[in-house]
Amino acid sequence: MALASLQSIPAAPRRWSRYRHPQSTIRFAVLLAVLTFLAWSVAFLNVDLLRILGAFPRLAEILATRYFPPDLNYVSDADFIRSVIRTLEMSLLGGFFGVVFSIPLAWLAARNITFSRRIAYPLGRFAIMGSRSIHETIWTILFVTVLGFGMLAGTLALTVFCIGFAGKLFSDELEAIDMGPVDAMRSVGASPLQVFQYAVLPQVRVAFTGIAIYTWDVAFRAATVVGFFGGGGMGWYLKRTTQQLESTRVAAILLVIIALVLIAEIGSGWLRRRISRMR
Amino acid sequence: MSLAATSVSEHGFDAWLAHKRSRRIKNWLIVAAGAAVLAWCVRDTILFDTDWARMGGALGIGGTLERFFWVDWSLAPKLLVPALETLMMATLGTILGCILSLPVAWFGAANVTPSRFILYPLGRFLMVLSRSIHEIIWALLFVGAVGLGALPGILAVAMRSIGFISKITAEAIENIDPKPVEAIRAVGGNQFQVMYYGIGPQILPVIIGTIIFEWDINIRRSAIMGLVGAGGLGLVFFRQMAMFNYGGVTLVVLAVLALIALGEVVSHFARKAVI
Repeated sequence: MALASLQSIPAAPRRWSRYRHPQSTIRFAVLLAVLTFLAWSVAFLNVDLLRILGAFPRLAEILATRYFPPDLNYVSDADFIRSVIRTLEMSLLGGFFGVVFSIPLAWLAARNITFSRRIAYPLGRFAIMGSRSIHETIWTILFVTVLGFGMLAGTLALTVFCIGFAGKLFSDELEAIDMGPVDAMRSVGASPLQVFQYAVLPQVRVAFTGIAIYTWDVAFRAATVVGFFGGGGMGWYLKRTTQQLESTRVAAILLVIIALVLIAEIGSGWLRRRISRMR
Repeated sequence: MSLAATSVSEHGFDAWLAHKRSRRIKNWLIVAAGAAVLAWCVRDTILFDTDWARMGGALGIGGTLERFFWVDWSLAPKLLVPALETLMMATLGTILGCILSLPVAWFGAANVTPSRFILYPLGRFLMVLSRSIHEIIWALLFVGAVGLGALPGILAVAMRSIGFISKITAEAIENIDPKPVEAIRAVGGNQFQVMYYGIGPQILPVIIGTIIFEWDINIRRSAIMGLVGAGGLGLVFFRQMAMFNYGGVTLVVLAVLALIALGEVVSHFARKAVI
């Protein structure tokens, strides 16, 4: 009896779905908008999708036929090796000055410990974002235009690049610290500098060292092409050989770059692991 | 008894002092070596390699800087299409990079790789290769392979993104909870079903966050692709530079900044929606 009356109630046909009405519609609309933008981009840029697939076999073919026997004599030349050392020097200097300048900027741009949220915070943030937003090659070209060709321009471009790169990581690290010691120091009347030295720095020292080493690693990668735009170092050889269409020499230089970057990455990874173990 | 204990503790204290002293000396040696290397670098790069006479002193530098200062606003309407091209190049490059990084991440994740001795090292090698070659060099290679235009820029941006996306994805795959995978295997799911239902949902938030982050970086990268023959804002930058119209150069740099600020806002909201 009761069962029959229960069965007589028409059950609403409901399908379970993870997102309910307004949310699901918004998700659908966003997805549609993204896909439309993609399709429009393909049409606007005149990209032939078949050529994308063809590009990789073509690249492999070109590498095999034109670039194949790498001209290793060219890269064992004394002048080239000197340029490699200069690239290394530029990356060291750029990384060092970048880290040195980016620590105070990160201090300004960390929301929890900056000394004024109205003025210093946006200023530090803008300095870091600005040097990060402009690509290092554009910085190189600008510095070369103002200061002339040579390693000074390259070093300065790398410095600005490192300020942007390390500054962001540093300020993220600073924003994640434990505020207890900072509040304690502040409440007994320490100056901002004292707070930074005794409450902030001990917490982030290990992380900062790791970030500094990683910054050098990235700066070295960037330093290999800084010379392409007149900044000094091995990039200049790359530019000369590509413009002379000496593909076998380009191949040799590329191999040297890959090997050096690999060594730098392994070395910096080893150092960072050692330092994080010291924590 | 007590005497013995004191002497032991004193011995320990001495050892501790000696250890501390040796450690301090070691730290000073490291700092001194670093300072010496830096001084050598300064001597080589800044003192010997710089042509101070050609720079023209403070007056010459000031004169050049002044020419950058007068922004050439008349160029602004001509920048809209290149800016859009740059944005599209970055977007398509990121999508293509994601598609290409899927197999690389699959090969390079130690727990799901199809073959540990051949494909795993290959995947790891591709990750390093993609990151170690600068985007300018990738663009040069692709301009040689497919000719001028937006396509080499898209391909270069994609190749450069593979390393980061696939490395993060592989790490995410290595850190998944193995239970759903085992459950799907236990009820007879095939390899594809394991990946789609067992691994996919677990790593999707990480991947989408990484893609948004990479898209943000790729806007910067695609803004310079024009320097070596792909289109976009880089081409306008190159042309203004070649014409010595430094006011126009400043405007292009400002346009890049505006584009990146836009990307920053979009990625902020996108990340908020996903996470």
